[in-house]
Amino acid sequence: MNIEEKLAVLNYKTDPTYPHITVNPSICETCPDHFCTFACPARCYTLIDGKLNFKYEDCVECGTCFVACSHGSVKWTNPKGGQGIKYKLG
Amino acid sequence: MSEFDAIVVGAGPAGTSAASKMASSGMNVLLVERGDPPGSKNVSGGILWGKDLSKLYPDWEKTAPLERFITNKVTGFLTEDSSISIDFKTKRFERQRTGYSVLRTKLDGWLAKKAKDSGATVITGITVDGLARDGNKVIGVRQENDVITSDLVVLAEGANPRIAIDEGLRQPINDHDVAIGIKQVFKFSEQTINERFNLRNGAGFAGEYSLGFLNNGVKAGGFLYTNKDTISLGVVIDIFDLRKDNSTYSFDIMEKFASHPYIAPYIEGGQLQEYSAHLVCEGGIDYVPKLYGNGYLIAGDSAGFSFSNGMMIQGMNYAIASGIAAGETAISAKESNDYSESMLSSYEKKLSSSEVLMDMRNFRGIQNVTWSPLVHEFIPKFTEGILYNMFNETGEPKKHLFEIALENFAGSKYDRKSLVLDLYRMMRRM
Amino acid sequence: MVLEIVVMVKQVPDSQEVVIDPVTMNLNRSMTRNVTNRADENALEAALQIKDKTPANITVVSMGPPQAESTMIECLARGADRAILVSDRALGGADTYPTGLTVASAISKLDHFDIIFAGEESSDSSTGHVGPGVAEFLGIDQITYCSKIQYEDGYVTAERELEDGTEVVKCPTPVLVTVLLNSNYPRRQTLRRKIDAVRKGMEVWNIEKLELKPEWVGVRGSPTIVRRMQSIKEKQREGKKVTLEQIPDLVKELYEKKIIREVH
Repeated sequence: MNIEEKLAVLNYKTDPTYPHITVNPSICETCPDHFCTFACPARCYTLIDGKLNFKYEDCVECGTCFVACSHGSVKWTNPKGGQGIKYKLG
Repeated sequence: MSEFDAIVVGAGPAGTSAASKMASSGMNVLLVERGDPPGSKNVSGGILWGKDLSKLYPDWEKTAPLERFITNKVTGFLTEDSSISIDFKTKRFERQRTGYSVLRTKLDGWLAKKAKDSGATVITGITVDGLARDGNKVIGVRQENDVITSDLVVLAEGANPRIAIDEGLRQPINDHDVAIGIKQVFKFSEQTINERFNLRNGAGFAGEYSLGFLNNGVKAGGFLYTNKDTISLGVVIDIFDLRKDNSTYSFDIMEKFASHPYIAPYIEGGQLQEYSAHLVCEGGIDYVPKLYGNGYLIAGDSAGFSFSNGMMIQGMNYAIASGIAAGETAISAKESNDYSESMLSSYEKKLSSSEVLMDMRNFRGIQNVTWSPLVHEFIPKFTEGILYNMFNETGEPKKHLFEIALENFAGSKYDRKSLVLDLYRMMRRM
Repeated sequence: MVLEIVVMVKQVPDSQEVVIDPVTMNLNRSMTRNVTNRADENALEAALQIKDKTPANITVVSMGPPQAESTMIECLARGADRAILVSDRALGGADTYPTGLTVASAISKLDHFDIIFAGEESSDSSTGHVGPGVAEFLGIDQITYCSKIQYEDGYVTAERELEDGTEVVKCPTPVLVTVLLNSNYPRRQTLRRKIDAVRKGMEVWNIEKLELKPEWVGVRGSPTIVRRMQSIKEKQREGKKVTLEQIPDLVKELYEKKIIREVH
């Protein structure tokens, strides 16, 4: 099973009005390592043609990227109002 | 005059325990949880050890949603081809139960309900934005454009404590403070699990492994816990070495563990019900922040209260114990109507005389052993080599154990000096 | 004068958590938690947007078991002023006809109402009957499948979504409006309002209060009789994979086959 199939079993209540994590593209552009792409367990960070692509919709709110990014690009907040990942078992 | 005596942020084991303790003594308590329902943001590493909940709910073992009580504890090493483990089963754990596997949405839902029954106002589905302050004193919480006031705020936000970090109450997290936890839960029938793990009558299996098959110095531990009709399988990945390697995906380590030749058969045929990830506190005592200040206390994972010595991984019991200690401290503060830093310092004194800080101080630096190349590379491969040579009948004359050991040591990358040093550290710290 | 707005809401199983048992092909609800029907959140938001401009009172009305309380508290925490849950053992097993009757009876017990909002349909039964049914029982006008709803001087104006376009309808109050799913972004609950909501709580009405007889409601008052249920196997559809560069060709092909169309 690949990671996309695994994420597909999850229940998200996505908040279209509030991306709880944002990255600063100008920092990511010059990033030498893009460690976020390896660390994030939900593959929210990918490189497309060498450019960093981030999607908050698949985020499971673990906080890994906040630790992983050593360049200060990741701004991390919690989703608001019960939205975001909704684990059934935990 | 504050609206509440205390506001607790986070309805996990720490927050619910603090809220319950305070509310049952008659304090006016608000418990706020961003998940709706409680537990829906949480992931357990697996086993709730100890009896801390009995201090709040004497009948908890009968009424809480527990999965299985652990009678079979396995600690092992996995290499590419092999599995080497200590497999400890005892009737003693059946007579005197010491650890239960749990799933957090069920457990936290129950804990939040108990806090509500104790008299706390429980609010779910709301994210607190930050603290409200008056000078150097915390006077409540901020949410949207409102301030809700309280004499005391207990921060029990979990392993990724946004408020504590943003408000400067704890240092930012770095690579050695936390690890990446990833977990998959597979569905089976209760009977299949009983047969596969040789279990009866609600007994359970808890396995913890060092994953010696990862490349480039990447280090991870793995766990397998049996629940009633599901199996929790997970990995805990060291961030420092993953960063150094910068070519291994965290989620691939999970998959590699799940497809290991001696793990895969356990979960064969199981339907994946959940994939989850969560930070795991690994920094030990040096990661614990200042635990109190004017008008606030920090408890549970927010305070870095977790412990792993390679044999035992614990967190939820420390969360409960610290929540209770925070609650007791708050009750004394309420009695003397003094929520100052010096009054609240008794929280740390309470924890210092309990297992929470005693364990963490006793095992200061243990993470340097549990995350060492010794544990993750040398011991698994060295032991595998010895056992293979011992048990492999080739028809040639047999060698003495010492000879086999020397040959295998020569084959490893370890130099003698660092081995002795690392072994010494391990014996001392473990 | 203060506008009196009623919003009809329903608590439903979270559709994302309903799984189909691979063996029996039946719905497995054992893992399913309850949530507020999403189109009803849009209905409440439509009401709140009117209240943002015009002084109004919003009363949320629901029919369901006591655990629907979480939905009622949630509506109060988003900004509703009053929450009434019609709950009675006699209401169990109702189809859409007695449900409409029950909700209409509850609304008619209120002193006054100008606008009633309902979600276009519920995610668990998807009939879209109850909103229009309530309008019929109350004998008032209705505008269905609406977005962009406005109120001014005794009139509601709304856009109705049709097969081939939209229709703008203007109607005097009292009127019932059903609101399209995703037609707005529901505002969030706040801590302040949720604390107040928990303190205030909801009102629970039984059928006696509504002056309804047990034989008129619930399963006894339902004309629908379920003879048989069957699961339908999903038809395998033709599909193909395209690369990023081939997307314009794909769009052209779909357009030519009249599968997609231009919208102005």
